[in-house]
Amino acid sequence: MEETVIAMEALDAEIARTEKAPKQIEMSANGVSVWFGKRKVLENVNIDFPKKTVTALIGPSGCGKSTFLRTLNRLHELIPGAALAGEVLYEGDDIYRQDVDPVHIRLAIGMVFQKPNPFPSMTIRGNVLSGLKLSGLKRKDHDELVEQTLISAGLWKEVKDRLNAPAGDLSGGQQQRLVIARALAVNPHVLLMDEPCSALDPASTLKIEETIRELSKDITIIIVTHNMQQAVRVSDYTAFFLAEENQPGFVVEQGLTTEIFGNPRDNRTLDYVNGRFG
Amino acid sequence: MTTLMSEAPEIREQDLVPQRPWSKRPTSFWLAALLGTAVPLSFAGVLYFTTEIAAPLLLIVVYLPLQLVSAGVAGYVAKGKHGILDSGLIVFAIGSTILSAVILGSMLATIIARGFEALRPSFIFQNSVYISPSTPLDYGGVGHAIVGTFLIVGIATIISVPLGIASAVYVTEIRGRAVPYVRFFVQAMSGVPSVVAGLFVLTVFILTGVMRQSALAGAIAYAILMLPTVARTAEEVLRLVPEDLRTGALALGSTRSRVVFNVVLPAARTGVITAMLLGVARVVGETAPLLLTALKNDQTVVNPFSDPISALPTFIFDNVAQPYPDAVTRAWGAALVLMVIVAVLFTLTRLLSGRNSMNK
Repeated sequence: MEETVIAMEALDAEIARTEKAPKQIEMSANGVSVWFGKRKVLENVNIDFPKKTVTALIGPSGCGKSTFLRTLNRLHELIPGAALAGEVLYEGDDIYRQDVDPVHIRLAIGMVFQKPNPFPSMTIRGNVLSGLKLSGLKRKDHDELVEQTLISAGLWKEVKDRLNAPAGDLSGGQQQRLVIARALAVNPHVLLMDEPCSALDPASTLKIEETIRELSKDITIIIVTHNMQQAVRVSDYTAFFLAEENQPGFVVEQGLTTEIFGNPRDNRTLDYVNGRFG
Repeated sequence: MTTLMSEAPEIREQDLVPQRPWSKRPTSFWLAALLGTAVPLSFAGVLYFTTEIAAPLLLIVVYLPLQLVSAGVAGYVAKGKHGILDSGLIVFAIGSTILSAVILGSMLATIIARGFEALRPSFIFQNSVYISPSTPLDYGGVGHAIVGTFLIVGIATIISVPLGIASAVYVTEIRGRAVPYVRFFVQAMSGVPSVVAGLFVLTVFILTGVMRQSALAGAIAYAILMLPTVARTAEEVLRLVPEDLRTGALALGSTRSRVVFNVVLPAARTGVITAMLLGVARVVGETAPLLLTALKNDQTVVNPFSDPISALPTFIFDNVAQPYPDAVTRAWGAALVLMVIVAVLFTLTRLLSGRNSMNK
């Protein structure tokens, strides 16, 4: 009896997630164009990211997906010669407004990178808590926080007995889950993931995908991936980027992942998701 | 004879022992190698015993070039054309290594042999009050100069290491507009003759009456010499810290200063310590700046502000030119003490930085 109720609830949740039910918008990019020096690499990108969903950014290499991702938490501006037009709204406010401190933006919009980058001078526990130290956040329940975030990142069972070991002792897949835990410890509302599984083996990839699905119940996730199956498995929405030779990248098509992969409107999307180029 | 046994594949005996097929060489190779070594060696040997040519000269002018040529010939015989360059390179590398080892080793051996004569507890712990150059070795020592060296180098380290690391942080982390100028200036500074550093302190601080000739004045001169070394080495090690770590920290909502203090510097800690050590190594034997800024003193001085002070290099300088053999032996002894101090300091720091390091 009880089991069926739970199953029904899960089904409802699944339907609510995939249905076009109007969702609150957490972030949106409005007319974003990006330059490196004189070279324009992205043109007029408009994407909405609904709250507590996973959006996959797909497309061939060099089409500006990662660059776009980095404009969403103001990491783009760290590159010398970087420029940007348009606006990026987070909870309705432009994150590039003059009086906005990028430090606050990056605190609310966390990021996981392609290559695992745990801090080598810190222990596993120290890495999880490093966000608090680096951002100056105060929390008292450190042990609880470490356990919770490591559980969320799917790493707790493997490291609970060696929290004080150097982070460098972990395998690549474990390190990637550790940096996910590190990003979660500062309690972000949005998590950006830049090809988080490209350096990992299939088993670790699967674990991280489970983690992403689990996390999307609480936070908004935007993930860049080259793995089409991964996009299908983890995302609710998909945006397909493309760049002609020596031209800036742009969004060809975006929408529900089921639509993009099952019934794309544009022929280029159809070709790409079926692996005919890229 | 038993046909039943012959079913199993035969196992060759040599397949059961580990072998190195890649190092098996034909007889012609060994013959060429043997002749290639024996000919120049015996030629140089004959010259050594029949002529008056000095051994080092024979080694450098006759034997090594000859060995190079004969190695080339042997390489050609054994392996053909490309063998010439191969064996020539190997002989050149080995020869140069031996040559530098001989030069450094003979210096080390001389310091140990001559300095050991002076070494005794009183030499380490006593100072040189009431000691004249002709006093026997049983009296007096370099205790005051050891204290002086530690005091001066210690203060110089306290001054120059924070400044050097700060300039490295400016170049690699803050990346401001003045970076090219800072780097050029640091490069140029590393060519400053040590006596100029001493003269600078003398004219700016001592002759103007700001301070007396003392450990502090000597330390400032030392710090000027240390700074470029520390800054350049620190810059190089900070550059080795992966950019990923900086972006990773910034993505966690970190401020720039916290990135530097909590991520970059800890990740480069071993290298930063190396930078400090190289700075110390740069100055610890410098004599000229101290002659102008710290003078000498036979007493043990511990107050860095008050009095002139002796350090090991100035002690060596004072004693080595004396017409008394015991004074000269004291100078060698002081050189040995200085060398041992540097060796111990380096080993200790390496051990400490290695043990606490998180990245293995």
